[in-house]
Amino acid sequence: MKLEVKNLKKNFGENEVLHGISFCVESGSALGLLGRNGAGKTTTIRILMDVFKSNSGTILMDGKPFIPREHQIGYLPEERGLYPKKTVGEQLIYLGMLRGLGAKAAKANMKKWLERMEVAEYENRKLETLSKGNQQKVQLAQTLLCNPDIIILDEPFSGLDPVNSQILKDVIKEQIQEGRLVIFSSHQMSYVEEFCEEIAILNHGDLVLSGNLREIKREFGRDRLVLSSLEEESEELARRLRDTFSDLLEVEKVQKDRIIIRKLQPENKSAILKRLLEQDVDMEFFGMYEPSLNDIFVEKAGDEA
Amino acid sequence: MKQFLTVLKFELNSYFKNRSFVLTTVLLAVVMAGVIIVPTFIPGLLNSEKDETSVKEETSAEAEMTEEALDNLGVFVRTDQVDDVDMLLDMMPAQWKTFQEEQELKTAVEQEEIEAGFILESLSDVTYVVNNLSMSERYSYMFQNALSTYQRMQYLKEKGLSAEEVMEAENVGVSLSTEILGKNSARNYGYTYALVFVVYFLIIFYGQMIAVSVTTEKSNRAIEILVTSVNPNSLIFGKVLAGAIAGVLQAVLILGTGFASYYAFQDKWGGMLDFLFDIPARVLIIYGIFAMLSYLLYAFIFGMLGAMVSKTEDISKSSMPVMMIYIASFLIAMLGMSDCDSMLMKVASFIPFTSGNAMFIRVSMGSVTVWETLLSGVLLAASCVLAGILSAKIFRFGTLHYGNPLKFGATVRKLKEQ
Repeated sequence: MKLEVKNLKKNFGENEVLHGISFCVESGSALGLLGRNGAGKTTTIRILMDVFKSNSGTILMDGKPFIPREHQIGYLPEERGLYPKKTVGEQLIYLGMLRGLGAKAAKANMKKWLERMEVAEYENRKLETLSKGNQQKVQLAQTLLCNPDIIILDEPFSGLDPVNSQILKDVIKEQIQEGRLVIFSSHQMSYVEEFCEEIAILNHGDLVLSGNLREIKREFGRDRLVLSSLEEESEELARRLRDTFSDLLEVEKVQKDRIIIRKLQPENKSAILKRLLEQDVDMEFFGMYEPSLNDIFVEKAGDEA
Repeated sequence: MKQFLTVLKFELNSYFKNRSFVLTTVLLAVVMAGVIIVPTFIPGLLNSEKDETSVKEETSAEAEMTEEALDNLGVFVRTDQVDDVDMLLDMMPAQWKTFQEEQELKTAVEQEEIEAGFILESLSDVTYVVNNLSMSERYSYMFQNALSTYQRMQYLKEKGLSAEEVMEAENVGVSLSTEILGKNSARNYGYTYALVFVVYFLIIFYGQMIAVSVTTEKSNRAIEILVTSVNPNSLIFGKVLAGAIAGVLQAVLILGTGFASYYAFQDKWGGMLDFLFDIPARVLIIYGIFAMLSYLLYAFIFGMLGAMVSKTEDISKSSMPVMMIYIASFLIAMLGMSDCDSMLMKVASFIPFTSGNAMFIRVSMGSVTVWETLLSGVLLAASCVLAGILSAKIFRFGTLHYGNPLKFGATVRKLKEQ
């Protein structure tokens, strides 16, 4: 299955909140929708789920218009809410049956997923008596209850402690391996980095970056090098580089323990190394710069902070 | 359809597992049975149990009671125009005391020795003396009557008729028997009134509960999961019908207990409560249909209200206009019970908001043709379905709308635009 989103636009009243969002994701892979608060992630997801209609743009599944009701979708909305006064098991069976499972299958799946999420002991407890984290896990069980082909998770990690986050990470990885199509939004870059092949970064309703994460990283690191010294402070070294290397490089960022430089010419790398040796810089590290997703995100979406 | 049934079952379960729902039902049913059964075990409370001697005893006792119960009244005659004061006083049954002085009479009234007094100034002029003029004043009226009768008799006597002849002329009996071609409204009044009240209570009690059950999905934020999992029509129809079924079931259980208790102890009651419990099957069926449909219509309107607000606290404020409409319809019905074939009732029996009560009252107490009943029923049923679909649309439209309640007019306009 291949889900393509093309040029989605959405207005709330006079205010356009999405200015043309496009991305693409296939079965067996995950797309991370990244963006700061208010960037338009949730709105995009709600349009995908047909909670809202877009003002323009198309969503295609394998080339045909995507109608959510025709697919088994596991959806974890940003607004987490179930029935506080009902028991955990009862409401999961209800939701399973609403999505087309038979009573028996709904019960079996409920048990399976509560167990997988390690909250099986709360099956007969009212939801409101559970801690926030456990309620979140019940929500996740609800999402995966019907063995969906498509899984859409809006901020799935918010509210989970590191142990629970690990459980969820494992579950998502499993789902990707089993060939599910996963879309999830987050602003916790480390998780996205761990299992997303594709990313789309939104900023104020604009798509500022999208594509394969590995390629983006490579592209982002091109022409850039990292340099760190054992003896010299970064600031001091940066000053020296600006004074004596200005024909070869530009200092791009000075961090506490390293400097990121940009080659003025692609083939400058060995020339730079040669001059560093000539100048007897006590190098700790000299090599290609590989940006973290966090770096990319801050650069693309953090400009107007 | 499957989704609808799933929602219906889930929502019904919520009612039946609700302890206060079960307790109220059982308690009210027990009270109902108690009210009907307990009096039959209290000797002397219901007439039918008494044997003949006790009836006789009672009759003489009653006579004594009547004498005792006669009011004490006083009279002072200032004029000599009234020849036969005793005859005049006989015309108005009371314990009469004749006074010689005006002041004596007034004192007696003041000291409450007598209830009231009359000072006869002339044949056509009486002063009525009383401590406090009460709303239920009847002595003065009775005395006036007595006096005018006396005058008439005196006049006839003067014209040469003997007292007996006058009495005879006065007492020409006219017997009146009524042949009822339509319905005996007087007899049907009791149960019609009671049945209209049952619907009133159902709508007042359950309307709000239904609105709350719809709003809850928003306030507990389950709505996003629901609208992406289930067709809003199934959801709204399931929720509203569950509320409706729960209400009807409760009413049937409570009233059923009443009927069963009454029919089990009917002999002991001696038919005293037939005016409430002896309802013709045809009336019951029409009532069942119209009450159910009108209750459903209001249930859907309350469901719509629930869809328009996002917090359960807002429901009572928003439901005011609907309550007003229903109370107006109820008042029209109450008014119509005294004249059920009036123009107002005829019109009201075709307007869906009022036809539930109005048509039932016309069927129960007046004359109405079959096609009128059918037409009104069809109109009401169609309105129910429309209200249901509209509330589902509003529910879907109001998804994720938090804050101030939606305005009905604006919402419908936007829905049309969509």
